[in-house]
Amino acid sequence: MSLAERMLKIDRRIIFLIIGLCTLLPLLYPVGLPIKISPEVRAVYDYIESMPEGSVFLLSLDFDPSSKPELYPQAVALLHHAFRKNLRVVAMTLWVSGTGLADQIITQVARETGKEDTKDYVFLGWSPGGTAVIINMGQNLYTTFPTDYHGRPTKGLPVLEGVNSLRDVDYAVSLGAGNPGVEAWYVFGKDKYKFEMGGGCTGVMAPGLYPLLRSGQINGLIGGLRGAAEYESLIGRKGQAVAGMDAQSATHMAIIVLVMLCNLFYFATRRQ
Amino acid sequence: MSVESIIGAWVATGLTLFIFSFLYRDNPLFKLAEHLYVGVSVGYTIVKTYDTVLVHLIWKPIVENHEWTLLIPVFIGTLMLARYAPKVSWLSRYAFAFIVGVGAGLAIPRTISSFILKQVEDTVRPLIALVPGEGAVFTWNLLNPASGVNTIIILIGVTSVLFYFFFSVEHAGPGKAVARTGIFFLMIAFGAAFGYTVMARMSLLIGRLTDLIGYADASYGRPTLWLLLLTVGALVLLSRRVKSEPPPEG
Repeated sequence: MSLAERMLKIDRRIIFLIIGLCTLLPLLYPVGLPIKISPEVRAVYDYIESMPEGSVFLLSLDFDPSSKPELYPQAVALLHHAFRKNLRVVAMTLWVSGTGLADQIITQVARETGKEDTKDYVFLGWSPGGTAVIINMGQNLYTTFPTDYHGRPTKGLPVLEGVNSLRDVDYAVSLGAGNPGVEAWYVFGKDKYKFEMGGGCTGVMAPGLYPLLRSGQINGLIGGLRGAAEYESLIGRKGQAVAGMDAQSATHMAIIVLVMLCNLFYFATRRQ
Repeated sequence: MSVESIIGAWVATGLTLFIFSFLYRDNPLFKLAEHLYVGVSVGYTIVKTYDTVLVHLIWKPIVENHEWTLLIPVFIGTLMLARYAPKVSWLSRYAFAFIVGVGAGLAIPRTISSFILKQVEDTVRPLIALVPGEGAVFTWNLLNPASGVNTIIILIGVTSVLFYFFFSVEHAGPGKAVARTGIFFLMIAFGAAFGYTVMARMSLLIGRLTDLIGYADASYGRPTLWLLLLTVGALVLLSRRVKSEPPPEG
């Protein structure tokens, strides 16, 4: 058996080990590779940056713990930015399995930034219906969420003063890991009730959302851990995503090398 | 450090390592973690749905606020349960008819508007503009930087891919060239999607490894180190037991 044939039949656990080491070593010994900001991530940042104090920012955390590594850093970075700009943050989720995680994220960031529940932000929690929730919110926010996540009546909360429906939202961002997510928010929310919106998503979903970005249906897009790292760089608060970028680059390089080697070995066996 | 955080760290570390043990081979530790994941997910969803829907959106508004109109959706929803009684299972059709009718009515116009009309508009807009009094005017100009080459690439991509999936005409002669161009664009799209998928999967691995590194801290009692030893030890024992078992007869 030639070297090429032996390499093509290599135990796949060796590949797992290589990828594992390429991920682990940069996490233990980071080198701080530069991060270039893409226009789609900057668009979300610029829009929030341009919003006047007290504007209503809706953040829909449409994911559950299985997408936490990619979307948790995005949510944390966006919330830090919104709180720093003194925006009124209205958070919610369309995913029942993500309710606890969403509450944990917003409570943690609010505590870090010294923001007060119901005055500076509110977490509405989850309501059943998926896309129907968005349509209902466009008609009346208080019938969709009569109480917030902690059971307090939403009517009369200081943070929701002057907010009756989605038409009163100045900017919305959906961090989606699937359906319902960014697309649902565009189709049943922005397109119908005419508010500006951006999106954040997992890496798997990003290619499918670029057509919406190009056509201006969403004004910006934060894609995967890479997008989160770009946003962390923009707000000058380097967190989990930036820390993971060295590992991401190293694993990508390893995969490129492995793909090239496999092709070389494959063509070598064909020539024999 | 609170006791809840320490227990959480040990549970998260253990389950992560048990799941990762599948990379070596299928084993009972992986199965334990897998079944726990499914069970906890379903249990959490049931409890949250019960609390939000039945308690906060149905029971409290009806009993405390006397919102009797809510009984109408409750009645329609209850008809769904008729499927479990064969004699009256036909009643559930009314509930399904309502859901399908409302769902389709809401989704079809919005989806056509957002995903077809808006996308078609964006595909042709840079090439054709509506000028008052003149109608549709072809506006693309190679010398004008505003009308970029991307516009033409997208138009060629959309039309050639659509033609590739048009099977009423044989893909021969000039049609073959157009269909091949469509395949070329499809391959690029698949490559981009696969690249993003790899990035996403690596991000998940980075997320778990970041947590494992964090939980190796002494303040948590170093669960990563202890549970890694336990997992490796268990895998060694299991593989020895498999080797010592006689092969099945047959």
